[in-house]
Formats: sequence, C-alpha cells, structure tokens
Amino acid sequence: MVRSEALLIVKEVIEAALEEKRVLTEDAQLIGGEAVLDSMKLVEVCLALEDRADDLGFEFDWTSDAAMSKSRSLFRTIASLAEEFQRQSGG
Amino acid sequence: MIIVTGASKGLGAAISQRLLSQGHRVVGLARETSQIEFESIDCDVSDYTSVKQAAKHVKKLSENVDAVINAAGIAAMNLAVTTDEKTVARVIQTNLMGTIHCCQLFAPLMMRHKQGAFINFSTIAVALALKGESVYAASKAGVEAFSRAFAREMADFGVRVNCIAPGPIKTDLLRGITEAQIDKITAQQINTKRFEKSDVCDLVEWLLDVKAESLSGQVLHIGGV
Repeated sequence: MVRSEALLIVKEVIEAALEEKRVLTEDAQLIGGEAVLDSMKLVEVCLALEDRADDLGFEFDWTSDAAMSKSRSLFRTIASLAEEFQRQSGG
Repeated sequence: MIIVTGASKGLGAAISQRLLSQGHRVVGLARETSQIEFESIDCDVSDYTSVKQAAKHVKKLSENVDAVINAAGIAAMNLAVTTDEKTVARVIQTNLMGTIHCCQLFAPLMMRHKQGAFINFSTIAVALALKGESVYAASKAGVEAFSRAFAREMADFGVRVNCIAPGPIKTDLLRGITEAQIDKITAQQINTKRFEKSDVCDLVEWLLDVKAESLSGQVLHIGGV
C-alpha cells in the first residue's frame, strides 16, 4: 500500500466517524486540544481501521507496544496515523 | 460468547460450568487448559503478550463477545513483613495486572458492538482490611479502583464493568486458612453465613442479565460489609 492509499482510507474512516462534514487536512490533530475527534471517536476510528485492514488482508494493531510507545506520534495527526497504517500493511 | 479467565479451577471453573449449563458458549482461559473439558485457550493473564495472543484468537472466532469474567487470581495469606518480594510481585502481577491486561485487550471486542460486560473479582478483605491479607487486599483494591474508572471509560461504548467481592469461598485460595480463621472473617460480614461458589455464580448470572443493565462501576460484596 502506498502512502496516498493509506491516507485516503484513514480520511474516509475519520469522515465516517465525524457527525458533521468537515475538511480534513493531513496535519489535522487526532489528540490534544485541537483534536478533530474526541477519545471515543478515536477508538471508533481505530476499530474501523482494524476492519479495513482485515478486508485488505493484514492486521492493524493499534494496541501494540510499538504503537503505544509511539502513541503521541501515531495519533498526533491524520498523516502519522496513515503512515502507521501503511507501515503495518507492509507497504 | 463469554470469556472466563482462571477457568481451570476454583471460581472460574464453577462460573464456566454454570454458564455452560445455561447454554452459553464459554471460552475458558487458563495457564493449564489440559483439564478443561470445554473450549479453552492457554493464557497466562499476568503476561500481556499471552493475553494479547488470546484476544487475537478470540477475535478470529468471529462471534460477539458478550462478557469477560476475570476470575483468575492467586492469594498470599501472610503478614506483609513475612511475604517475600517475589510473592508480592506475583500477586500484584496476576491479580491486578492480569485484570488490567484482560480489560485492555478484550475491551475492543465488545466496544465494537457497543455492548458487553466485564466482571472483575475483588475480595471482602479490601473493605475489612483483614490482617494477613495486606498484599492480596492491595492487589484487589487496585482491581476495584481500576474497575470504577474503567467503567466510566467503557460507558459510552455500552460496556458495563462491575466487581464482585466475595468473602471466604471454599477454593484453593483458602488453602492454609483454618476454619476458625474463616469463622472470624465471616463474623465481620453483615450476613455472617458462609457463602458458596454457587452464590458467586448466582451473582455473576444476575450481573450478566439485562436486568442489571443499570449497574456499572460497582463493587458488590457477597455477605455485605
């Protein structure tokens, strides 16, 4: 999977989780004061990404030690989440 | 499907049998599963990686997880000053960390479906501050505190979290405790009767029922304190 594909999937999943339509940029924050998602929605996004990964034939592990220890960067922005999704896809 | 940890013996085995008799699909988790005669997975709850593997296994079963019952636990009935460092670590790692591991790693399987229940196990020794159970009580006090806060975290996902805190129940955990000591403990309960595994099973059954839907973040003391 290339970066742009991962980014598209992550954006789609986040858009689906958000109740109102909004323009999402790569640098939109996923945690912290300016986060586009609350913590509940963030978990929903992770679960949805797990499902998308299952469909694509790989396992997206957002609870891994690696993911957790890098959690600030993993969930910092849409781009960082997409990059982790891409990395775990083997792409 | 209901997951029961510590399913090979004691309360975990009794709860599993009760739920199986009611027609539930029960998956038992235990360090030693060879004696378990129903569906089971090898799992050491004190080991995060082992629980993670078990959660992956359960996910692949492709059936909704309705509940996780964290019955795995060990005891160390001794004065703190005569309990060695390794035993203290083992009690905390199994009772507290084991419960946390299972809650963390099985929660997403229930959050996905916006329903489910965790039943964690504490002890009456926390409320009664029993002499000779300081380390055990400390591990279970952690379970209670974790469960209350975790219940709030899970509420938005429709997942309930409660604790059962039994008094002395005849299991391996009471090995080495004399009848007189048991009497002394039960005398401190509101209801001084000696309760049995079946009483714990009754409460588990009730907590899993839709009638207990309003209950989360609670610690239920068998016998009362």
